[in-house]
Amino acid sequence: MTLAIETSGLTKRYRKVTALNDCTISVPEGRISALIGPNGAGKTTLLRLLAGLSRPTAGQLTVNGGTPRQDPAFLADIGYLGQEIPLYRRLSAEDHIRAGAHLNPRWDSALVRERLTGLKIPLNRAVGKLSGGQRAQVALALVLAKQPRLLLLDEPVAALDPLARRNFLGVLVDAVAMGNLTVLLSSHLIADLERVCDHLTMLASSRVQLCGDIEDLLAEHRVLIGPSKDTTAIERDQRVVQVTRTPRQTTLMVRLKGPVIDPAFEVSEVGLEELALAYLGQEVPPPQAPAHHLTAVGDDQ
Amino acid sequence: MSWLVWRQHRVQYLVGAALLAAFAIVIVITGEQVSNQFHAAQAACAAGQGCQSLGGLFMGSKVVGFLVIATLGTPVLVGLFWGAPLVAAEAEAGTTQFAWMQSVTRKRWLAVKIGWMLLAAAIWGGVISALVTWWASPTNAEQANQFDPGRFDIMGIVPVSYSLFAVALGVTAGALLRRTLPALAVTLAGFIAVRVVITLWLRSHYISAVTTTYSVLGNYGPTGAYWRLASGVIGPNGQPLPQPNNTFYFDDIPQTYLPRACSGVAGPNGGNPTPACTQALSHFHEFLTYQPGDRFWAFQGIEAGIFLVLTAALIAVTAVTLLRRDA
Repeated sequence: MTLAIETSGLTKRYRKVTALNDCTISVPEGRISALIGPNGAGKTTLLRLLAGLSRPTAGQLTVNGGTPRQDPAFLADIGYLGQEIPLYRRLSAEDHIRAGAHLNPRWDSALVRERLTGLKIPLNRAVGKLSGGQRAQVALALVLAKQPRLLLLDEPVAALDPLARRNFLGVLVDAVAMGNLTVLLSSHLIADLERVCDHLTMLASSRVQLCGDIEDLLAEHRVLIGPSKDTTAIERDQRVVQVTRTPRQTTLMVRLKGPVIDPAFEVSEVGLEELALAYLGQEVPPPQAPAHHLTAVGDDQ
Repeated sequence: MSWLVWRQHRVQYLVGAALLAAFAIVIVITGEQVSNQFHAAQAACAAGQGCQSLGGLFMGSKVVGFLVIATLGTPVLVGLFWGAPLVAAEAEAGTTQFAWMQSVTRKRWLAVKIGWMLLAAAIWGGVISALVTWWASPTNAEQANQFDPGRFDIMGIVPVSYSLFAVALGVTAGALLRRTLPALAVTLAGFIAVRVVITLWLRSHYISAVTTTYSVLGNYGPTGAYWRLASGVIGPNGQPLPQPNNTFYFDDIPQTYLPRACSGVAGPNGGNPTPACTQALSHFHEFLTYQPGDRFWAFQGIEAGIFLVLTAALIAVTAVTLLRRDA
C-alpha cells in the first residue's frame, strides 16, 4: 500500500502560536480522507504544509513520494484549494481555464467547461460578479481540471447549497473511483463526510487525535452505557475517550483494548459523528473537570 | 505564464501605451514648430539679418515646456501603478495562491511577471526620454543647460534607469508589505528620497569637478553645457568672500570688500573704475567649480548604472522574500 501523504512530527510554529504540533499521519493512495477538527485546530496549516505553500518548523513530510518543493512536476501532482477561494476577480472562468491550460502539463479544459455549463454558470462573466457558491464551483472545477494525484481541499463545500454539495462530493467519489487520485478534505459537515470518506484525520488543539480508515476506527470504538458507579475497572481495561456522568447513568466512549466484561454496561457501536464529537469534546490539556462532566484524554495519538 | 501576465495586466499596459501616444503627439507637433522657428532664426542671424534673442522662442510653448519638466515625475508613475500592485494586489486578493498552485514555480512566476513589467518600464522611460531629448535639442543648443539638475534627469538614458528602479521599488515594497496602499506610499517616498539624495549629494562627485581661477576683471565661461557647482571671488588674502544679499556688487565683489581705491564704483551711481582701482582689483580672483559639458554622457552612464544596480538589488530582495516566505 503506497502512501499519498506521510508526515512525522510535523510542527508549524508562527511567532507565538503553535499552529500544528507533532503531527504524524499517513493517508494511503486512493482514499478520500476527512480532515476534521474544531476551528483553529490546525487543519488549514496542515493542508498548506502538504501543498508546499508553507514550510514546517520541524518534522518531515512526504507527499506523492516526495518532499513538497518548488518543482513543476511536484506541483503538477498537487491540487489545492484554499478556503478563501482565490480567483482573479476581474477574470472570467474562461480566462482561468485558458490560464490553467498554459500553466499545467495535464489540463482538461473541456471538463471544466462541461461542468460549469451544466451548473449554468456563465463562462464569460468576471468571477467577481458570480455568487459565492458559483465562485466555489468554478474553483473546484478548475482544481479538478488540473488532474492532480493528490487533492487538498480546505472546506470546499462550505459555500455550496446542500444539493450542490451532494453533487460535488459525488464528483469527487467518481474521480477517485477512476483511479490515481487521493483526496484530503476538511469540513465541519460530518454528515457529508460520512457519506463519501473512507479515511479520517482528526485534529484538535494543534494535535492529531485520530488517523486511520473510518471502518477500522469505528470498529475500535464503543459506547458503554451503564449505571452511575465506579468506572475504575473499565478505565483500566479500555482507553476512555470521554465520560459523561449524570446522577442516574454513566456514558463512556472507549477505544477498545480488550473485550468489555462488565455486564452492567450496555455496549453499542458508534457512528462517525458520535466518534468525532467525543474526540472534539475532549479538552487538551485537560482542565479542572466539573463534577458531572468528567473528561479523559487519549494520550498517544 | 506570459499569457496570464498579459491577461492580468493588459489594461495597465494599454493605458500606459495610450498616455505615451498622447504625449508623443503633443511633443512631436510642438517640437516641430519650435525646431523650425529656431532654425529659421539661426539662418537669419547667420545671414546677417539681425540676431533676435532666441530665448524668446521657447517662451511661446510654456505649457509644453512645463509638460517636459513634468516628465521628471513619469518614472514614479510606473512604480506606483505597475510596480507596487504587481505582488501586493495579488497577495491581498489571495490570487498568488491560485498562481502558485499551478504547475509553475514561484521563481518562474516572479521572473515572468517582473520581466514583462521591467520591459514595459524601459519602453516607457525610453520613449518619454527620447521625445524629450529630441524636443529639447533647440533649447539645449541655445541655453546649454542640459547638464543642470532637473534637465539632466529627463534626457538621455537616465529616465530609463529611473523607470526600472521605480518599478523594482514598487514590486519590492509590495512583496514586503503585501498590501497595495502602504506599498504605494513607500514607493513614492522611497523614489523621491533616493532621487533627491543622488541628485543633490552624489551626482556632482561622480568625477572630480574642475575648478578654474581667473581675474575678476576678465570673463571666463567653459564651452558647452557645463554644470556650474560653485563660483565666487577669492580676496587678496586667499579667502573666499561671502556673497550676502542686499548689497551692491562690483565684478562679483560685495561693496564692503572692495578696495578703497574702488569706492564709488559699486552702487546705483557707480562709475568706471580708476586705474588705481583696476590695479587693486588684480589681487582678487574669481573661481568657478564645474563639471565640463563633455562629461554629460559619462555622468548619464554612471547615474544609469547606479540605478540599475539598485534595481537588481531590489529584485533580488523580492525574489528572496517570495521564495523563502510562506505563501
